[in-house]
Amino acid sequence: MNIRRAIERLLALLRKRELDCELENEIASHLELAERDAIARGLSPEAARRLARLSLGGIEQVKEEHRAQRSTQLIGTLLRDARYGMASLLRASGFTAAVVSVLALGIGANVAMFSVVDAVLLKPLPFPEPDRIVRIWDAPKPGVVNATSAPDFLDWKRLATGFEAMSAEQPISGTLDGNGEPIRLSGKAVTAEYFQVFATNAQLGRTFTAEDDQPGAASVIVLSHAAWQNYFGGDPKILNRRVILDGESHQIIGVLLPGAFDRDQTKFWKPLIFTSDQKLRAIHWLTVYGRLRSGVSLAQASDRMQVIHAALLELEPINFREGSIVVWPLARLLVGDDLRRSISVALGAVVLVLLIACANVANLLLAKGATRKKELAVRAALGASRGRLVRQLLTESFVLGLLGGAAGIAVAYVLIRVATPMLSKSLPFTAEVSLNLRVLSFAGAIALGASLLAGALPALRTSFVNLAASSNLSDRGSSKALAGVRQLIVIGEVAVSLVLVCGALLLLESLLKLQSLDTGVHIENVITMSTDLPVGAYPTPEKAALFYQAVAQRLKAAPGVVQVGISTQLPMQWIVNGEGIEIAGLGKTVWVRFKRVDPGYFDTLGIPVVAGRGITSQDRDGVQRVMVINQALAARLADVAGMKDPVGKTVRVSYPGYVEKIDFLPEVQIVGIIRSERVASPGDADPAVVYVPFAQAPDPHLRFVIRSSFEAAAVMPGVREALREVDPNLSPGDVATLEQVRTRTFSRASQPVWLIGAFASVAVLLTAIGLFGVLSQAVTQQRREIGIRIALGARQFDVLSRILRNALSMILIGLVLGMLGVFALTRVVKSLLFEVSPLDPRALTVACVATTLIGLLAGFLPAVHAARVDPVATLRDEG
Amino acid sequence: MSKQKTEVPYGTLDLLILKTLEAMGTMHGYAIARRIEQVSGDVLQLSQGSVHPSLIRLEQEGWIRRDWGISETNRKVKFYSLTRAGRRQLRVAVDSWEKATGMVARFLKASI
Repeated sequence: MNIRRAIERLLALLRKRELDCELENEIASHLELAERDAIARGLSPEAARRLARLSLGGIEQVKEEHRAQRSTQLIGTLLRDARYGMASLLRASGFTAAVVSVLALGIGANVAMFSVVDAVLLKPLPFPEPDRIVRIWDAPKPGVVNATSAPDFLDWKRLATGFEAMSAEQPISGTLDGNGEPIRLSGKAVTAEYFQVFATNAQLGRTFTAEDDQPGAASVIVLSHAAWQNYFGGDPKILNRRVILDGESHQIIGVLLPGAFDRDQTKFWKPLIFTSDQKLRAIHWLTVYGRLRSGVSLAQASDRMQVIHAALLELEPINFREGSIVVWPLARLLVGDDLRRSISVALGAVVLVLLIACANVANLLLAKGATRKKELAVRAALGASRGRLVRQLLTESFVLGLLGGAAGIAVAYVLIRVATPMLSKSLPFTAEVSLNLRVLSFAGAIALGASLLAGALPALRTSFVNLAASSNLSDRGSSKALAGVRQLIVIGEVAVSLVLVCGALLLLESLLKLQSLDTGVHIENVITMSTDLPVGAYPTPEKAALFYQAVAQRLKAAPGVVQVGISTQLPMQWIVNGEGIEIAGLGKTVWVRFKRVDPGYFDTLGIPVVAGRGITSQDRDGVQRVMVINQALAARLADVAGMKDPVGKTVRVSYPGYVEKIDFLPEVQIVGIIRSERVASPGDADPAVVYVPFAQAPDPHLRFVIRSSFEAAAVMPGVREALREVDPNLSPGDVATLEQVRTRTFSRASQPVWLIGAFASVAVLLTAIGLFGVLSQAVTQQRREIGIRIALGARQFDVLSRILRNALSMILIGLVLGMLGVFALTRVVKSLLFEVSPLDPRALTVACVATTLIGLLAGFLPAVHAARVDPVATLRDEG
Repeated sequence: MSKQKTEVPYGTLDLLILKTLEAMGTMHGYAIARRIEQVSGDVLQLSQGSVHPSLIRLEQEGWIRRDWGISETNRKVKFYSLTRAGRRQLRVAVDSWEKATGMVARFLKASI
């Protein structure tokens, strides 16, 4: 059939009534003409009419044939079947509700999960031409990437030709005071072309221009749309306002358009103006983004950067010889392997849930089909072909699928609304989880797929049963083969749910392992927060040191506070600063992590000093520089430099500067060794760490650990007050108990555990329902048999155990199949587990026992029902 | 839905209709049916009604055009005529018909 005809046919479908009328006319006039001719040939009017009709053929047949030619008969039947199906579903409202809710659950979970996949992996990033946005890294060695130094960045920007814009950023945070209460917000210091890279414009005012990041430029900031709304009430005159950022007045020059940045942590941006000490080539600290010129491919840009790298190598031999510059697409940066893996596993799990839901629906349809055999037999007797009956049954399951799909979309909507706030922390900020057109098409597709999957087998089975036998009234309606199929379906369900339950338990076990990981610090009753030292008010190291002391003392006096420690990094978190130790006589540098702590830090966290002493308040600026090292470094020193007893030894350590001072290489005495606190991520060895006193190496970014005598959160009002007393511009940010910090830090790999756990619960529930359905049906069908058995002396217990044995055998076969599935999926799960074998016997045993128990529970009700069969009543019914 | 059996060899009714319209110009459905019966004499047993579905299909294919007109009994009926595409189609159909019958004829001769 060509397209033209297809369109004509579809159009004809819409004009059905009009065309039917035309047809009536046509046939009527045909008959009239034929009659007239016959009369003209001399026949009587009656004979003429008869002859006319005879030679026309069966009038209704002609009409039907005519209609078939005119339009797509198939669609017409389909609509009729759908209407019929709808009516019969309405009659069986309980059945319909059961099927639709099972489908809605399965489809809803899948649609919600797919919307996450869509947001994270499928949707283009929410910036104009996102493919052109790249991250540019230093790669000191193949396979290693590093941040960029300011001079390198400036050289790249000057020399690179493949980029329309290039910018460097550094995350900052600051206390913003413009609306009464000071608030601590995350922000970014960025160079002028930042917003060109992301092609984001201002709704009010402007973004940065080339002058804004030059030395001596006015202090200005740009606000995100969300920050403007949340913290400034969407004030339309915002551009006239100045805000105090870390004690310094800033002009607000622009508010961004609403968009992706509103989901980011970053609330404000200020120009990044390089100071002289930041312009050292050895300090790598910048994140560099670029926007490729249109037409320049990633590979071309990367090639050109290699040329620049070679040129810079000539200029400044400090760059690593074997290094290079690598260019990554932004998407690669935002969606890490961990996240991709978690999402795929969760998607796999939710598809299994849908399979179980389909199996359940198929089961219900089979059960319903058994009760409809007579109806179908009658229809077959009246001339319906087998294909016609299959089509009818399939159409009905499609109607169910569509209803389930519609309900599923509603379920997905609710799930997304509930889950997004919890998920958003684990997803990149660019991901907006929503029910868009693509997600809705997906919902439609799986609704159709599910109804086909669930409907095909029952439709075929039901229409293939011996219809002649079905019309026989004495037929019991119990077909052995049908029961077998239904049992197979339940066995499959048990197998699939076992896989899910095992997965969830393994992940849970892995999570528990992570949570019980030795952190090396005291976790209970410790609250953490961050704040920034207003550098403007404390411009020298001496002043800064006084500030640290004052804050610690004042905080300790707050009600409930036992001990206070300050550091640049919280425990369990990776130490970003890396420095080098040079030991006299040793030709090479020992690379270490560099952490600043105040005298209270080790005490607050219960980190024991194993040799020498900790940091004290005597370690001030101007006296002998000291440091405490961790056991990992002590071992390394013994290994590399043969330094058996490092306490008291003096080494040279590179120190980063404070405010204007450039970094230098002073002599530092090792005064003590502490037991290593956890710094590396789970599974990695402790790195070598030096702890230097804050007073000797000041830094404005402060993390507090506060131990209290009671519930950690309860001390916060006092802490807030204490901070304000020290400096009215100070306010705490990132408040979290150390417990929460631990959970957050160590749970990343096991993140999908709750999700998979939820899926597994749903799967088990659906399986239990399926098992219940099959057994109930069996009991109903075997009433007579059971009645006879009881009449012949079987005890209630025998009947009960017979049904339960039946259930148990289905469950056990399912478990065996499920175990095969678990073995097959070992590799997939392994990547998500921490120190747990994917075939961990404990998890597998618990999963099997739990599945069996739930299955038996589901079988218990029908079994009790069977045991209560009254033989007299049953046998009398059969009369 | 049972298939309407036509005594006209399958697929040739279209050809007959097109040929009739080429020979006679514009006609209504009944006249076409009558004409086919008359021309074929007693050989073809045509259910006259089967002409109508064919006409619909041919019209949808764009081979014949439909206009409204008044029949001899003063009713509004459809009058059909051949379109340019219909003429082309008729040549193609006649050609392939002749090829097919020629082939069958040769085959029958050869097999004797």
